[in-house]
Parts: sequence; C-alpha cells; structure tokens
Amino acid sequence: MIGLHIVRILVVIFGLLPASLMAGGFWNSGDTTDLRVRIVEPYIEVRTGPAPGYPVVHASEKGEWLTILKRRTRWIQVRDDRGREGWVSVAAIAKTEDPTGATVDLKVRNFDEFARRDFEAGLLMGEFDGAPVTSVYGGYSMTRNLAAELWASHVLGSASEIRMVNANLVHQPFPEWRFSPFFTLGIGHLWVDPKVTLAQPEERDNSVGHAGLGIRAYITDRYFIRAELKEYKIFTTRKTNEEATEWKIGLSIFF
Amino acid sequence: MENRIKYLFLSLALVLVPTPGVAESLQPMIEPDVSPVPVDEALIDTEDFEIGIFAGVLSIEDFESSLLYGARLSYHLSETLFFELDAGFAEGGQTSFEKLAGNVQVLSDSEREYSYYSINLGYNVLPGEAFFSENYAFNTNFYLIGGAGATEFAGDTRFTINVGAGYQILLTDSVAIHLGLRQHYFRMDALGAEKTSINTEVSTALSVFF
Repeated sequence: MIGLHIVRILVVIFGLLPASLMAGGFWNSGDTTDLRVRIVEPYIEVRTGPAPGYPVVHASEKGEWLTILKRRTRWIQVRDDRGREGWVSVAAIAKTEDPTGATVDLKVRNFDEFARRDFEAGLLMGEFDGAPVTSVYGGYSMTRNLAAELWASHVLGSASEIRMVNANLVHQPFPEWRFSPFFTLGIGHLWVDPKVTLAQPEERDNSVGHAGLGIRAYITDRYFIRAELKEYKIFTTRKTNEEATEWKIGLSIFF
Repeated sequence: MENRIKYLFLSLALVLVPTPGVAESLQPMIEPDVSPVPVDEALIDTEDFEIGIFAGVLSIEDFESSLLYGARLSYHLSETLFFELDAGFAEGGQTSFEKLAGNVQVLSDSEREYSYYSINLGYNVLPGEAFFSENYAFNTNFYLIGGAGATEFAGDTRFTINVGAGYQILLTDSVAIHLGLRQHYFRMDALGAEKTSINTEVSTALSVFF
C-alpha cells in the first residue's frame, strides 16, 4: 500500500520536473559540443565547491576562456584552458560572453521570474478533517492568472487511511503581488481504507469536489511558501453527502 | 601571459612574412568546420537531483533492532536547502513478552514487516572539506533533516514524523556517501494502550547526482 503510494509520488515528481531534466539531458556524455565562455569582467573567482563558503582557489582573468562542465543549483563547474576545474556562481557566468560575442543568457531567479513561471511543484502538510495530511502537487500556468494542478494526498486518521488524487484550476487575481492570493476549484477521487482493528471494516471510494482559497508568498531564488484552505464535498451513495475541511502549508519551487 | 607573448610573436610574423593567399582573395584558406556555439541555459548539464540507496540498523521500540534498507531521492533547491523523499524497509523482531512467555505471538509475520516513506526538508548547516592523507580533499556537508510521512507496521499505517542529521562526503563531484542518524516518531496501539513509538535509524547511503 505504501509502496503504491511511493510509486505515485515518484511519478508525480518525475512527471512534473521535466524542465530540469531536459536542461542538459539525463545521460549527457562527451559527445556534446563544449560550451565556452570568455570573461569580460576584470576577473572571476573559482571555488573548490558549489557554495559561497568554499575557498577561492584561483581567479581567472579578463579575456580567458572557461569551459562549462555542469551546473548545480546556483553554481557552475568550469575548466580553464590550463585544465584547472572549480565552481563559479551563476551570477558571475551571466556576465561573461559566449563565442558569438553575446552576453551569456542565464536566468538569475528573482521575483520577476516567479511572476512569469510555467511550472511549479511542492510539498504541503496540514490537516484533513482533523487528521494529518501530506500532499505533493505539480502545476502548470496556462496564463499569468490561471493554472492547472494535479495533487496526490495521504491522510492518516485514527479510524482510517485515505488516499486522494485531485485536479484543480487555480485563479490568481494579482500575479504581480509578492503575497498573492488565489482561488481554487476542482474535483478528485478518494479511497478510504478503515483500520483493521475496527469491527466491520468497510472499504470504499468516493468522488469529491472542492473549493478553496490560499496564498503564495515568494521567498527567494525559486522558492515560495504556499498555504491554503479547502472545503471538500464527498459524494456518497447515501442520502447525505459528507463534508471535510482541509488546511495545508508547505514549500514550493517553480521553473 | 604566455598567450600574450604568443600573440605578439604571431602578429609580428604575420606582418613580416609575405602571405600570397591574402592578396588574391579575402576568403579564408580553411573554412572553420566548427561554428561558434551560443551558450544557452538549456544546454548546460544541470545536476540538482541526487538518487541513492541506504542500509543500516533500525531500532524498533519493543520489537528489537532490524536491518534497514531503502532508497531516497533528493532535489537540491540551493546550496543549503534540499527536498528528500525516502522509502525504507525493516522487520520487527520479538517483544520481551513473547520471548518470556514462549509460545505467544503478538503480531503475525506479515504484521512485523515495517515500511515507511517520508518527505523531508534538509538544511546544509556546515558545508566543508575533509582531508584524507596528503593527496585527497573531499567536499562535505553536515545537514539537519526533518519531515513527515507514514509508517506501516503492526497492521496499521500511521502518520510519522522524523528528524535527524547527516554527514555527506562527496567522493567525486557526482558521487557521495552519507552517514545518518534519524529518529522516527509515530503513535501505535498494537501493545494495548496507545503510545508514541520512538525508533532510531543509523544508516549509510551511497548516492549519485544527475
């Protein structure tokens, strides 16, 4: 059961982070052409590792060529013409020139990029009808105001375990705000698995409809905090439908 | 410096030595067969994901210690923060009661199978370097990690919180080993009254960036 859930999460994660995988390719071997940049600023500091705390081992001067090896988060590993390797910040590479003489087109993630994002993915936790819930989601922004999302959630209550998938539309009236509210409307399906310790366990699955509101708050680089409140209507075969309230908060990334 | 000397020397040679080809046409003698490659973000190999396998020991409260193994996938958001998805498997042993009472089984064999998943956020608190002999330096990270997920054990699936710390040693720029210590907390009622089960994991992982 957990295994299935893990597979589902992996599918969601792999399915929704294609931008990063496409950038450079999965098994990028030596057959690609070297990417080379020429330093325009007086010098560039080269460090031993991909973080600002690593020591600067050497500096490359203006006019020297660097070969780009790979990127990790905000750092790029380079090799100079003497074969020395090290890590340089993306911001420094963004000030160099490529062989065509153009300034290297590297995005430094900031708030403007956030407002223009195409994909987002994240992890949220909270409560669904009083029980802990863990959710992962991925979303695609069709316009700056409208996005489509897919969610997978796992609710672990004291009497039952619920697995749930949802699809929803998100409308964001003010995409240019740093703290941007949104409204959401969607449908989904849930599978209830009662605890074995209870007498007469009854497995069931139901369709759900939901509406909610929430907020995205841009932090830095490509992260933002997302919090939301959703009201669920669970469509049962009985005379009355059930209702559940859910709140969640978590961290998301955008591409 | 060396480049500049070459440059000077070659420019001088160009002026002094008569070159017949140049006079006749401005076409280059040899057409370059490589055109300049513009650097595009999409062409850079990005290695923000890390996939790994781990093995170690899980001490399951009331149910002895067990071999633990599993897999994890991380996504590095920045040099300090990363998401990690973990799945692990172990097997609960016998309680002291079962051992003393003899022919008593508190749980069936399938209920003793312990599995969990967790979604965590890690924070590299102390990035650094470790030196092995005179010749090798490895980049390292000491990180704190915590998150939530679910544990399936004793015929029940429970919401689980885990916190811990780890030490990552990068053998190369793409291959790392991890040493980790984590505590898993969940509520369980298999032995009568509901209580918090505290389980300690000590593990070693091997991972690759892609």
